[in-house]
Amino acid sequence: MSVSVTDDGIRLTSPPATPLVVTLDGRYVWSFTPQRDGRPSGSGVLVEWPAALTSYLHGRSAVRVADVDGERVLFDDEVVLGTPADELARVRVEDRQGNPLAIDKVGHLCRAFDATDESIRAEILHGTRRALDDLREHAGVEAYLNYGALLGAVRDGAMIAHDSDTDVCYLSRHTSPADVILESFHVERVMRGRGWRCIRMSGGDVKLLLPLSDGRECHIDIFVAFHVGDTFFQLGNRSGTLPASAILPVSTITLHGVQFPAPADPEAMLAFVYGPSWRVPDPSFKYADPPAGIRRLDGWLRGFRTQVGTWTELHRRGPAAPIRRSDLAAWVHRQLPRHAPVVDLGCGTGRDALWYARTGRPVLAVDFARAARGVLQQRARRLGVEVPFEIVALGDLRAVLTLGATLARSPHHVHARHLVGALDDAERANLWRLCRMTGRSSFLEVAVAGSGLPEPVGPARRVDLAELVAEIEAAGGVVELQEVGPGTDLAGQPDPAVARLRVGWPRPGSSAPTQPATRVRQHPRREKQRSVA
Amino acid sequence: MSAVQSRVRSARDRLEQLRRRPLSVRARLAALEAEAQENRQLNRRIAELTDVVTELLIPLSERNEDRVDEVLAAYRAGQV
Repeated sequence: MSVSVTDDGIRLTSPPATPLVVTLDGRYVWSFTPQRDGRPSGSGVLVEWPAALTSYLHGRSAVRVADVDGERVLFDDEVVLGTPADELARVRVEDRQGNPLAIDKVGHLCRAFDATDESIRAEILHGTRRALDDLREHAGVEAYLNYGALLGAVRDGAMIAHDSDTDVCYLSRHTSPADVILESFHVERVMRGRGWRCIRMSGGDVKLLLPLSDGRECHIDIFVAFHVGDTFFQLGNRSGTLPASAILPVSTITLHGVQFPAPADPEAMLAFVYGPSWRVPDPSFKYADPPAGIRRLDGWLRGFRTQVGTWTELHRRGPAAPIRRSDLAAWVHRQLPRHAPVVDLGCGTGRDALWYARTGRPVLAVDFARAARGVLQQRARRLGVEVPFEIVALGDLRAVLTLGATLARSPHHVHARHLVGALDDAERANLWRLCRMTGRSSFLEVAVAGSGLPEPVGPARRVDLAELVAEIEAAGGVVELQEVGPGTDLAGQPDPAVARLRVGWPRPGSSAPTQPATRVRQHPRREKQRSVA
Repeated sequence: MSAVQSRVRSARDRLEQLRRRPLSVRARLAALEAEAQENRQLNRRIAELTDVVTELLIPLSERNEDRVDEVLAAYRAGQV
């Protein structure tokens, strides 16, 4: 059999049916099963690099493709990936702190731990045990160890090599998804009260961030499991048949000498999760979840943070946003009293929020991307200004209502630049809800729809202005001022059709709305291009 | 609207649809699936609303301003 490694992927003639492991410069990065993951190419099979890996593959690397035991080596050579200009660099699949990353079984890049990191492994195990104790004793749910850690415990009493995170589940006694979600909110509150840092991933999944002594963070997912009718659902995306008696009452299992609560019948759980061949190690394993189950879980539990990953990636790797204030900020500033507070919704890395703060105006920065917060806070420290930042996803009604309640008690004007076009219908409805709750004017900038116009930055759309105005009015807003003309996009590039709107939100019973004043804006000023970094 | 009126209206809508243009089973299935998904999404909304109301209702009904501020701050901290 011949094997070649190129920018396209790994090409094999007569590919084996068993999984293969890929290391770059001796570090594990990925595993695949050629017959399942490849596609026919010439006389063999091409297995493409996973999408999450491709942006890292620029430079020289010692690539090794071998079987799981490492005994049969199919390829072992120095390869240059990317353009010839990359030849002098080494491929580094690492995070910003230089920690190695690897592809996990759902195709995401995650931290890869060496099997020898014993002290770190002990921290992960004891942190996971503490999470399970808190869930069982304080949140009052039937929590148990699951997934990779359970598999390793049953198979060898040890964690599986390269497993970096642990997953725990609890079996909810509820059978209505709304009740399951409410219970998950309660669980999150209890865990925060116990001192855990959490990120809500869906209505039934909270991620705990466990700090490790080497500076890294271990992620412990708390997944809900529940029955609806005869179907058993367990997050991530599992669904099928598993009776409650396979889980409760929980048993005990030992992993590297630490005891954990486990499903009553761990082997039944592992067969449910990994299929009948769960005893045979397969680092390239992929879930084969029933589509109907995924559709239900998506509908019930998900949908409020679908764009977070894309925007986070844009903040990390996308075109550098200008750091000078936008023209919208100056437009808003001219229309407001000097110290009137502003909330910058969808602030990104905070060019406008920081500028408002420098003029002495109280400002609250809001975005859903944690990556944006890091950049903004670093720049705020450098500039010596205070800009409070809140992570709020506009799809999360709880977050919107409580932010709205806070802003209603401390009224802020809304500044939202190129935000509307990045929202789905539900998020837009929540935006209007939030604007109305602030009780002050909202200042919006949108890229207007029309033929022959450039695509907006990121996963955003141009907005039909007449439809937008109708939507705002239906939500109780009054467009008081409207300007249309040339402007700039999020990357600071010229955009010939940008609208600015000032929207008022009259309280019920106040005087009738007036017709908006519409102006055509001329002579845009080109924005000075400077990199954030 | 009473349940009977609602059923009558729904039946009339269906009849009207059939009269205008016979829809293929496949198209009707796709529409039904989309509508089912819309309904599933109500679960999260119900849970979000119930959570906010139950957490805020007691301090609000007690007119306990400090406690309202505390709950709002706790919620906001929860987003970080």
